Amino acid sequence: MGSPYQPELIATARDMNEVQKLIDVGVDAITIGHQNYGLRVTGDFSIEEIKAATTYCHQHGVKVYILTNAIFHNDILETIPTYLKELESVKVDGIICGDPSIFMIVSSYDIHIPIIWNPETLATNYETLNYWHQKGISRAILSNELAIDAIKEINEQVSFPVDIQVHGMTCIFQSKRKLVENYYRHIDKSYDRQQVMHITQGKEEDTHYPIFEDVNGTHIMSDADLCMIDHLPLLLDAKIHGLRINGILKSTDYHVEITQLYKEAIDTYLEDPTQFELKKAGFKQRIYNIQPEDRKLGTGFYFKEQIY
Amino acid sequence: MTDIQTQTKPELLAPAGNLEKLKFAIHYGADAVYIGGKQFGLRSKAGNFSYEDMKEGIAFARKYGAKVYVAANIIAHNENLAGAKDYFKKLYEVGIDAVIVADPALIAACKEAAPDLEIHISTQASIANWRTVEFWKNEGIPRVVLAREVSLEEIKEMKEKVDIELEAFIHGAMCISYSGRCVLSNHMTARDANRGGCAQSCRWKYDLFEDGTDGSENISEQSDESYTMSSQDLSMVEHMPDLLAAGVDSLKIEGRMKSIHYVATVVNVYRKIIDTYFEDPDHFEIDPEWVDEIWKAAQRSLTTAFYYNEPTEKDQLFGKPARIPKYDFAGLVLDYDEATQIATIQQRNSFGVGDEVEFFGPNFYHFKQTIEEIWDENGEPIDRAKHAMMITKVKVDQPLKYYDMMRKRK
Ligand code: SF4
Repeated sequence: MGSPYQPELIATARDMNEVQKLIDVGVDAITIGHQNYGLRVTGDFSIEEIKAATTYCHQHGVKVYILTNAIFHNDILETIPTYLKELESVKVDGIICGDPSIFMIVSSYDIHIPIIWNPETLATNYETLNYWHQKGISRAILSNELAIDAIKEINEQVSFPVDIQVHGMTCIFQSKRKLVENYYRHIDKSYDRQQVMHITQGKEEDTHYPIFEDVNGTHIMSDADLCMIDHLPLLLDAKIHGLRINGILKSTDYHVEITQLYKEAIDTYLEDPTQFELKKAGFKQRIYNIQPEDRKLGTGFYFKEQIY
Repeated sequence: MTDIQTQTKPELLAPAGNLEKLKFAIHYGADAVYIGGKQFGLRSKAGNFSYEDMKEGIAFARKYGAKVYVAANIIAHNENLAGAKDYFKKLYEVGIDAVIVADPALIAACKEAAPDLEIHISTQASIANWRTVEFWKNEGIPRVVLAREVSLEEIKEMKEKVDIELEAFIHGAMCISYSGRCVLSNHMTARDANRGGCAQSCRWKYDLFEDGTDGSENISEQSDESYTMSSQDLSMVEHMPDLLAAGVDSLKIEGRMKSIHYVATVVNVYRKIIDTYFEDPDHFEIDPEWVDEIWKAAQRSLTTAFYYNEPTEKDQLFGKPARIPKYDFAGLVLDYDEATQIATIQQRNSFGVGDEVEFFGPNFYHFKQTIEEIWDENGEPIDRAKHAMMITKVKVDQPLKYYDMMRKRK
């Protein structure tokens, strides 16, 4: 404690070009990775590319977190120790993990990299996160299906930084199965994994759930893009440490511009909340200006109740 | 031949949505049942157990040497944490043998409030590799329920590397997602799947579009099949030796919402298979009758899911639903008089003179008969037993016992 609150603005990066551009617009940290180990990476980085990106980022005072949050099966256990060793040697700033095997692996192989906990849908309460903290995590990414009050409460009840996503798609489903390829085979049509696709929900034609496959299976993304730019004060007042932007299935131009906007909005608010109030409609408008036509903007579960 | 001969019989673990189902599951051969209490469970609609019900269920189970587990496998939110310690303490006091938990917050609560209450990690935690199994072992957990995505090969390796009890599903409905990693329902209906509110959105119909630079093309429209993600139900009925050889310690049947008829039928079959196998593993063969019997309770087509290969479209539900013969639980046998060959039967679904029915009981006892005579409670002959739960007398040629069941094709 002691130092003034300074949130970390974190963005995904698809390739080296995106890394450079994100740094140019003032990002504090990037997340990159490879689909063999991480979930829904926006572009695959080989270990050499990770090294290059990390060196570059560190030269610019930007942190690098590596997505290693896949649900691991036995086979990956053979290569992951070497992978982590290499990540350690290039001094990445953290690994984003969601499988408890990680605690056994780092202790068995004497690997020292900060662990950012991200079990996606399972980070929903503070006792859970405190449990994982005891096992060695130094930070956590909260589930997206949480209301603002729950986020604040968690942040107050844990002694380590927590992150939340503020912009972009969120994942709402992961299957190990190849559910798109299976369908194409069933309807006897040839399938191309690179093809961009979405599904709509029955009669509700205006829904738009992107769907894609990779080595981790089938992923379905949210109907709307999360957009919290005009609600940033809620998160900044609560002193949430990490604000994440997910650029998956978006162009580099869009992603970089969004990151720049959040950077500007955050800085504006921290400097002068009144200025932020005056400017926030403008920030939102600038997002609308570049928002793809088929993608709604929304606030996810921040202000939404769930029943069960 | 194998070291299977020295292996102890695995546990057959059955669902019990309520007290009556618990009794049937155990009477038909389950070594253990799992139930839900009033809190922290994922089946808000299953007729969950009060502490009184639990006590009665446990007392019943003890007579058979069977165990009772409580599923408390929600992924909790802050507001759900209150009361967890009291709950686990109470479960321990009433005599529950183990709790099945997914959320570490609840593990911590249980360890603190009821240190001697055994904890099993739920399938909701998607345990899919041996290091994770090892992690839970180090946490003092004696048993983990594996993710449905693991293969038999992977299970074998887990068993070789870690000395812990492994529990795996052998039969029933499944999530098509990694368990716990699906919030379709949350997003589409605001119902939290991980706290028991799942609306089964995966089984809905969707349209799939290919997105191009000049618009999107509806692929589903070009076929008569909507895009859907529904899995067939798991059944390992024809492959039990492989599971036993893999070293699974507890064989789990899904279905706390399923009927008594379902639970009794499925448990009966697997009990028979396990016992037959262990009597003489070297000469074990699948009896087609067992498979037939499983189909009498099946609700969907059946698959072996991930155990051998990664599932394909053949393991999903596309097209018209398969025509699976449906059976009703027609009556529960309360008593049988050998001298007069008259059975006392409590009606569970309408049946009448001329109906072909099948009687069955534990140990795979089976026979078919056409009903010739029925009397009501007052000894008056009747044509049909129409009233729910009415007590009838029926002439039955072969002996029956309390808990035997009568089923009828729908
Ligand atoms: S929608 Fe389907 S896959 Fe998702 S939690 Fe419900 S049953 Fe499981």
